[in-house]
Amino acid sequence: MIEIIFESIPSFWPEITLSLTFVISMIVEFIVGGKGKKSTGMTTGLIVLLGFTVTILQMPFQDLEPRLLFGTMITLDPFAAFFKYLIVAAGIIVIVFSMQSHEVRRQETVGEFFCFIAAMTFGMFLMAGASNLLMIYLSIELVSLSSYILAGFSKKLKRSGEAALKYVLFGGAASGVMLYGMSLLYGLTGALDIYSIQSTLAAGMVVDVHDWSFVVLMLSIIMILVGFGYKISAVPFHFWTPDVYEGAPVSVTAYLSVASKAAGFAVMVRFFYVAFFDSVLDLGKWGSLPLVDWNMIIALLSVLTMTLGNVVAIWQDNLKRMLAYSSIAHAGYIMMGLVVMSDLGLTAMLAYFVIYFFMNLGAFYIVMSVADRIGSEHIDDYRGLGKRAPVIGVGFSIFLVSLTGLPPLAGFIGKWMLFSAVIEAHYIWLAVIGVLNSAISLYYYARVFRNMYLREPLNGDESPITFSPLVIVITILFIIPNIIFGVYFGPLISYAQRSVELFLQ
Amino acid sequence: MIPHVLNVVLFLPLIGAAAVMLARRSDSAARWTGVVFSLLTFVLSLELFFGYDANNPAMQFVEKVSWIPALNVSYHVGLDGISMLLVVLTTFITPIVLISSWSSITKNVPLYIAMMLILETAMIGVFSSLDIFLFYVFWEMILIPMYFIIGIWGGKNRIYATVKFFIYTMVGSLLMLIAIIWLGYYASTMPGGEFTTDITMLFDIAPTIPLGIQGWMFAAFALSFLIKVPAFPLHTWLPDAHVEAPTGGSVILAGVLLKMGTYGLIRFNLQLFPQASLEFASFLSVLGVVGIIYGALVSMVQKDVKKLVAYSSVSHMGFILLGLFGVTVTGLQGGLIQMVNHGLSTGALFLIVGMIYDRRHTRMIEEFGGLARQIPIFATFFMIVTLSSIGLPGLNGFVGEFLILLGSFQSDVLGSPWYVVFAASGVVFAAVYMLWMYQRVVFGVSRNPENEKLSDLSIREIGLLLPVVLFIVWIGVYPSTFLDKTESSVQRVVEKLEKVQRGEYLTTSVSEQ
Amino acid sequence: MVPIHYYLILSAVMFITGVVGVLTRRNAIIIFMCIELMLNSVNLTFVAFSAYLGNETGQMFVFFIMAVAAAEAAVGLAIVIALFRNRQTVNINDVNILRW
Repeated sequence: MIEIIFESIPSFWPEITLSLTFVISMIVEFIVGGKGKKSTGMTTGLIVLLGFTVTILQMPFQDLEPRLLFGTMITLDPFAAFFKYLIVAAGIIVIVFSMQSHEVRRQETVGEFFCFIAAMTFGMFLMAGASNLLMIYLSIELVSLSSYILAGFSKKLKRSGEAALKYVLFGGAASGVMLYGMSLLYGLTGALDIYSIQSTLAAGMVVDVHDWSFVVLMLSIIMILVGFGYKISAVPFHFWTPDVYEGAPVSVTAYLSVASKAAGFAVMVRFFYVAFFDSVLDLGKWGSLPLVDWNMIIALLSVLTMTLGNVVAIWQDNLKRMLAYSSIAHAGYIMMGLVVMSDLGLTAMLAYFVIYFFMNLGAFYIVMSVADRIGSEHIDDYRGLGKRAPVIGVGFSIFLVSLTGLPPLAGFIGKWMLFSAVIEAHYIWLAVIGVLNSAISLYYYARVFRNMYLREPLNGDESPITFSPLVIVITILFIIPNIIFGVYFGPLISYAQRSVELFLQ
Repeated sequence: MIPHVLNVVLFLPLIGAAAVMLARRSDSAARWTGVVFSLLTFVLSLELFFGYDANNPAMQFVEKVSWIPALNVSYHVGLDGISMLLVVLTTFITPIVLISSWSSITKNVPLYIAMMLILETAMIGVFSSLDIFLFYVFWEMILIPMYFIIGIWGGKNRIYATVKFFIYTMVGSLLMLIAIIWLGYYASTMPGGEFTTDITMLFDIAPTIPLGIQGWMFAAFALSFLIKVPAFPLHTWLPDAHVEAPTGGSVILAGVLLKMGTYGLIRFNLQLFPQASLEFASFLSVLGVVGIIYGALVSMVQKDVKKLVAYSSVSHMGFILLGLFGVTVTGLQGGLIQMVNHGLSTGALFLIVGMIYDRRHTRMIEEFGGLARQIPIFATFFMIVTLSSIGLPGLNGFVGEFLILLGSFQSDVLGSPWYVVFAASGVVFAAVYMLWMYQRVVFGVSRNPENEKLSDLSIREIGLLLPVVLFIVWIGVYPSTFLDKTESSVQRVVEKLEKVQRGEYLTTSVSEQ
Repeated sequence: MVPIHYYLILSAVMFITGVVGVLTRRNAIIIFMCIELMLNSVNLTFVAFSAYLGNETGQMFVFFIMAVAAAEAAVGLAIVIALFRNRQTVNINDVNILRW
């Protein structure tokens, strides 16, 4: 037993670095930090930033030959590595965002904020590779617990406390349901790791279609789906999303909407892809779950998610909340890649995540910077912004157009890939609903740049709003990939393809 | 010969746009940069016109570079007679638009110039793409500059108009996106096939799609193009967009953007889905005829000159639609030349309306009268353009409409003279509403003392209209200059459809390129 | 020996009680207790299956659930206290700044 642990450690360095980062930053915070010492908070932030940088530098040296670590707890394969890069890159960006954000900096306990970002990142790393029900549960909980705290971080703000409470209640209930599903699945198969579950189910020994056991199996999968659905904020498990996204500090919202969602998808894909793959009768994906058309269920969830997200976003006047609904809609789009469960579908998902990373983080960054300067996230306060702050206006327009999915920006490529995947699998109706949703989303994104460019400022104040050079530079750094991936995305797609090919079945 | 001339023509305006944005210090610098770049593009595009070999029906000036190997998408552009003519029309109209807005656009000038130049690249790209992916990218690239051109520099109701324009176009084109991807996958189901978006390959593959599905494909493409044309029930965005757009925007909209719809119908619908095209031909021709008459009748009751011209566009575009779906060489040639004509004469009408609006800040017919005595040069130009729009023999409009009517009359696909009868009534209506409008505006007595203070056209304005009028007369008197260039390409399209109609189309043996 | 059905039915009843409580009660503390009830029903299921299958991994899972549940309760109650200081209420019907 102990040998297995020792053998696994060399492949586990990035995670070890992250956990050390968390522990060290926590200790530093306890020793030198304290009330009213904001400067030490920034020190903690720098420690975490350093830890993340070391992590990302270690990762290219990892041997990505697909294999299991710590028994069956964690799978290491290029698919997991893909998500880990995404997560830690998002982590670095979010720390940089938070260091600038007034909302975060004016808190007394700013140091702890960074500690929890580290904990959350560690949890998401585990989620990306988790291949055992226990590890799935633990990693999801680690991420959830850290994000509950981060969501309620602006203690003085009423909406922040409310967001955290809703988040913790909803999250607790969802994980309870998921756990119950897991316990049933364990009872049926006698195993916790998804590979054994797969082989047991595929052998057809434990579940009889004409028996209670089949009903129990279906029930357990639906319950587990609830847990994942909550993590990726799929409708109808999305109720927490808008509130939490609006109440949490913007940088946390950005992190939740990109990294936490990506990790949720990673664990969901791995679970469903592996556990119910029928290799014995060669029925393929979902093969060991007869009678029910699971592709159709996921397709319906995807349709519900994107439609609700887009339709409700139309009425939002708070931009953070609008982006929250838009991110629900994007989860719906991404689920289209999961529907078909093909290599192309997964490639499309991965490519979409990279693109989504740049466009969504960019959009949240603008909302954060503008809120710091003018103290409002309301759409009417964006009137005339195009003239008052040209770079910010252009940047925001580019991110929003990219989110809509119009060429020649990156978002179009993401949509193209996803639609390709569903059309290849003959889900034309799903693609049609997808594009109609893009048209709806265009309407509310266009409201923003209509306000920024076509309308006069609310009280006739046309004085320029100046942003620090750093903000301008970061905005431009986000604009560049949105354009580059729009016209030259070959390497991105090949990288996503390679990551999917070596998925450990 | 200039090497890679098509690439240069395609991207020069984009470089110009970048230059304008970088040199945004002064408005006049931006204006000059814009004009120089667009004129240079026009001069270079003449090489496309004169260098085009009219006897060779294949694509010319072809450039092909692999772009995204993973998706088998390439940067593939090239021109045949049809697209060459439209590219040259685009490069011809753009400098005129830029010069016309010299004094009427005063707010945010560099942005305006840059948007126009980006629009030019996108339009040339639409006409010259030989890869549907590339085509789609350029097609959607139109939206953003147009949104801003109408939205920032437009009239009172500009936000409503621009959002309507945006949503209409977007909804149409998104369904086309699905059809495009589906086509790519259909190609990969062919023996030895792979996913492709290359039009030259799809020309051979797509006609083998079973008729039922082909109908859906046809519909998905056609919806997007018919909105752009705009054909009768889908036209409602056009009057709003035209009325609210600044003069330059209207000119480019009427002059080139609408042609993208009819061009798409020729390039994609007729050539990719010939069987479905024949099935839908009479339906679309009916839409065309309804558009002709509806547009004419609505024009008749307009009080606003610009709105009148906008609705007359609906009528003229109906003619083009009729010409295309008669599926005869004559009709298609007529439709093609009519696309150019409409670009010239309606473009010129919008310029003229813009000139009078700049002076009087109104476009209501009832406000004018007696302009002939006051500003004779203006009245003369207005006269020529009006007559061209009506289709007076000797001017360009006549050639196009005559060929279209002749083509539909000969058409086996339509097989009924009634189309021609109704369409011809549209010509009569056109004479009525245009001449009536002209008479009320230019002749008679002035109904407003303001009219007596008007100044006649400046040298710049005359310089704008003169080249347009030159081509109006040229096409009217000697259309062969242009028709000869397009004939072989049009013939190729029609031959393919005729083969399909005779049931001779052998899906595997056709090799067109 | 007690048959496994008994354990499973008991845990199902506990679980449903928990779910119904979460859905119907309006006091944040009571909702927390209902979530704990759900988790405990999970524990019972795991232990029952573990004993039935003669497979100890289920029991191992239970220890983790208990530990995490404690952590979750700590975080949750801290959040409730922070909210109470701000609003003087723990009724989630009164916590409604964020709507639609």
